Amino acid sequence: MSVRTVRKTRGVVGESVRRVDGVPKVKGQFLFGSDLWAEGMLWGHTVRSPHPSARIRSIDISKALARPGVAAVLVAQDVPGKKTYGLEFADQPVLAWDRVRYAGEPVTILAAVDPETARRAASLINVDYEILPAVTDMEQALRPDAPKVHDFGNILRHIRIEHGRSAKADVWVEGYYETGMQDQAPLGPESGMAIPAEDGGVDLYVATQWLHVDREQIAPCLNLPLEKVRLHLAGVGGAFGAREDVSMQIHACMLALRTGRPVKMSYTREESFYGHVHRHPAHVWMRHGARRDGTLVYVYARLVLDGGAYASSSAAVIHNAATFAAGPYEVPNALIEATCVYTNNPPCGAMRSFGAVQAAIGYEAQMDKLAKALGMPPIQLRLKNVVSPGSVLPTGQVIRGSAPVRELIRRCAAIPLPPEEPAERRDPLSLPGGAGNVSRGERLKRGVGFAVGYKNIAYSGGFDDSAEARVRLFRGPGGAIAEVHSAAAEVGQGIHTVLVQIARTELGIEHVVLHPPDTNVGSAGSTSASRQTMMSGGAVQLACQAVKKDLFARVRRWAQAEGRTVPEPLTVEGGMVLAAGEPLAPIEEFLETPIEQTRVYHHRPTTPIDEKGQGEPHVSFGFAAERAVVEVDEELGLVRVVQIAAAQDVGRALNPQGVYGQIEGGTAQGLGFALMEEIQLKDGLIKNASFTDYLIPTILDMPPVVSELIEEPEPGVPFGAKGVGEMSTIVSTPAIVAALRSATGRELNRIPVRPDDLIGLSPPVTSPGPPPSPEVPGPEPIPKYVGLAAGQAILGGTE
Amino acid sequence: MKPAPFRYVAPRSVDETLALLAEHGAEGKILAGGQSLVPLLNMRLARPQVIVDINGIRSLAYIRRKDDHLHVGALTRQRAVEESATVRRQVPLLWEAIRFVGHPQIRTRGTVGGSLAHADPSAELPAVAAALDAELVVRSPSGERALSPGEFFAGYLTTALEPTDLLTEIRFPLLPERTGTAFVEVARRHGDFALVGVAAVVRRSDGTIAEARLAFTGVGPGPVRARGAEGRLAGSAGTSRVFADAAREAAARLDPESEIHATAQYRRDVAATLARRALELAWQRSGGRTR
Repeated sequence: MSVRTVRKTRGVVGESVRRVDGVPKVKGQFLFGSDLWAEGMLWGHTVRSPHPSARIRSIDISKALARPGVAAVLVAQDVPGKKTYGLEFADQPVLAWDRVRYAGEPVTILAAVDPETARRAASLINVDYEILPAVTDMEQALRPDAPKVHDFGNILRHIRIEHGRSAKADVWVEGYYETGMQDQAPLGPESGMAIPAEDGGVDLYVATQWLHVDREQIAPCLNLPLEKVRLHLAGVGGAFGAREDVSMQIHACMLALRTGRPVKMSYTREESFYGHVHRHPAHVWMRHGARRDGTLVYVYARLVLDGGAYASSSAAVIHNAATFAAGPYEVPNALIEATCVYTNNPPCGAMRSFGAVQAAIGYEAQMDKLAKALGMPPIQLRLKNVVSPGSVLPTGQVIRGSAPVRELIRRCAAIPLPPEEPAERRDPLSLPGGAGNVSRGERLKRGVGFAVGYKNIAYSGGFDDSAEARVRLFRGPGGAIAEVHSAAAEVGQGIHTVLVQIARTELGIEHVVLHPPDTNVGSAGSTSASRQTMMSGGAVQLACQAVKKDLFARVRRWAQAEGRTVPEPLTVEGGMVLAAGEPLAPIEEFLETPIEQTRVYHHRPTTPIDEKGQGEPHVSFGFAAERAVVEVDEELGLVRVVQIAAAQDVGRALNPQGVYGQIEGGTAQGLGFALMEEIQLKDGLIKNASFTDYLIPTILDMPPVVSELIEEPEPGVPFGAKGVGEMSTIVSTPAIVAALRSATGRELNRIPVRPDDLIGLSPPVTSPGPPPSPEVPGPEPIPKYVGLAAGQAILGGTE
Repeated sequence: MKPAPFRYVAPRSVDETLALLAEHGAEGKILAGGQSLVPLLNMRLARPQVIVDINGIRSLAYIRRKDDHLHVGALTRQRAVEESATVRRQVPLLWEAIRFVGHPQIRTRGTVGGSLAHADPSAELPAVAAALDAELVVRSPSGERALSPGEFFAGYLTTALEPTDLLTEIRFPLLPERTGTAFVEVARRHGDFALVGVAAVVRRSDGTIAEARLAFTGVGPGPVRARGAEGRLAGSAGTSRVFADAAREAAARLDPESEIHATAQYRRDVAATLARRALELAWQRSGGRTR
């Protein structure tokens, strides 16, 4: 056997590797879901309810069906199987019958030869509605006389966490906070194409976050066995939680199966705002008590979240809001009550750091209030109270993993502040509203705010979270090649690059290719909850290790046959098998036949919380701190965020450049929530379903983000790496709002903060007090008590 | 969406355009830069039978000085105005304001005449025209007429243009010595529609305001001149107090509307601040010192 010199494998874990999808995306060659096309395909179209609450008296589709070019018009009676679906609970009709519960709810679908024909045919469908009273206020939904959104009532889930007992404190602070409905605003609309197959099944190409949970929901509705519903990941143009739920998937499959032709559906921008879930608006009441020296002794938190018309992932969202309500602080005594309600507003569900965002806006404002009441610097108060390994959380859970929160705070606070130059010497463009030429620096106030936050990584509450990966090592023309087959959805965050890095690291070869993600391999779980690096990364690592084990067995068999002694240990590096560190032979020499292994990674089991909110609900935590510097024009209410200093607990950065990108992107989304992003609802109707009116920050709104990565490996997870996608979103909003408070001296207790609030035209929001706790059978979601489980509950093995 | 079907004609001259407009009357619609018309067509908020594309009429795109006016052809691209040293020197208010029109991509196609003829209530150029008392030259089959901004802007998205009329030229009067101008606006993000914009012109005579003009955009159906405040400013000393009082008076007379990006109260409040800042900036640019 020939022997080459060994060089280090490049592009491994820990390097800032160029993204595998980077070049095609930059060049415009990457195909997104909305770019799908097939010969002879039809275009699907959805007809939606214009009313937030109504009874359907009748639907007349005859005129639309008679229109030339229309291939099918389908209503609820045409759903071949189960009539409802849902990510956690099947409470949402595939197509509404009898009742509609939100404006935008799909009522009929149709397929036509082109989008214009489809749109015109849609306008010929006549749905006769009897308008019913709607409940569009989350607190109103809790009242006994409120209209019922579902037959079983308006409570979706209520959680009560009792920790310690009531306590005496030297200083008490109270606060009431409201947060608006944020949208994920992915640039790619909901898109996919269903192609009927000869076996009576269907192939669906779709931009989604979790292929297998989509299939779990689609197949029963189509009355098909799982194996006849094959999903393939189409190019995803951003997700942020918006693609956790099924949107056009079942509809496109129904139309394809009915017409026998490929059916493409791609929502318009306006429809996209109705076609996916949003971030839950929240009302938050908090009371914090501390001793004179700053030691936190008691936290009371009451949260109400508006889940909208259907459950989506609300049960998990309220679970996070409740379990993180006290923040990353040691609190010996806490009472937390959190309720998610159904209303006739658009459904709310997953969005980056769900639940943790709403909680952090409350608890970080409270920590600042407490610091002020104690006359203590806000950072010092946080340093005094933050959790560390061994800390007990209000659920009774002990933090077992890494929690370098003090170092995080110190490193964040140590980032140099931006210089404060006299306004007249500065470029007017750099001043608040500077792009509008409005300021020469008059009435400019600078403020600094700080926030710490945390959330869970991967799934919680007893869900058996798992991910599968298949790795095939074979001989290619230029040496050994590894093919990684994982169903993990690349949604722009960079998981595919990380999976390739892990395979390179484990197998010691640089040539790693990805099999397109589909349902021919087992579930990877969702690209959400900052979990894919840990879960699918773990699965790829396990599969690679199994492949390597087979490879080494071949090496030893070869040595035995050759009558040679091969010194142990065997390793791989730079395409070579090494024996006791010395090159032995190129890997491909042992690949006469390929080696293939499939492995499933599970994380340590968690438990559901009990009646008193006690348990071990989370497996791992990621922490972040940010400091925001803002400038406010006190007369115009305009804001410029001058700098964000960020520190994040990442365990270990597998692709540092990717980690920085996640911190910056998450910060931008949090900045948007602090200053401009809100779906404006009036009586259940969305008033700003466009990117003209739903404002997201542009590059001109973003300050420099100076990031510090805190690398303290998490024990028991692959490479010690923590998920990193969400934590900056938790802290950037409260840090910016704290900075605005410090600049203006105003209370600013409603997010997003509007210009009106900053110049005192609208007063702080007030509340007469928290609503009474609802009577519930227990801490589980109400739909579970009424037997509605579906979707990921099956995949998680809890059914 | 795509537009409803229409007939497309591309005249090569003003006379040919006028003949086509006369032929089609209210069914015809002029296409210039298309930055407002094309979205309206695509959303089917406008369904003209005939699109009269005037982009081929080169003779309508120019910037030239004639006597004491700067003449700008209606088809002149906004980007050309932005890049024109002549405009920057001779009509700095126009130069300052044009950069707030959308984004560079939009200004590269959008035309000066198109923006004025579209008369969006939050557009910048109508306020500039109003503040400068520009003349808007209109050709029709019966001849040519020059309209003042007061005559030209008739209300929300409405002008005095008849279906048979073509706006051909805008004449901006050159300002005398010791005159300063300023354009400022508030938008939620750079490039967004203005919530409030203000154009100010101040002519100075030593420490006294000889003449002042103030025009708002975004707070009414069209550009709003603040004649009362202007009258008060004329002859007054150029002090912060005087500017602030005039700005407040001007804003108090505004009747803006509430919409999702701004309340009426915010608009009125901010209009006063902007007017004051614009007046002070214009005053400083006229060579005056603020006291």
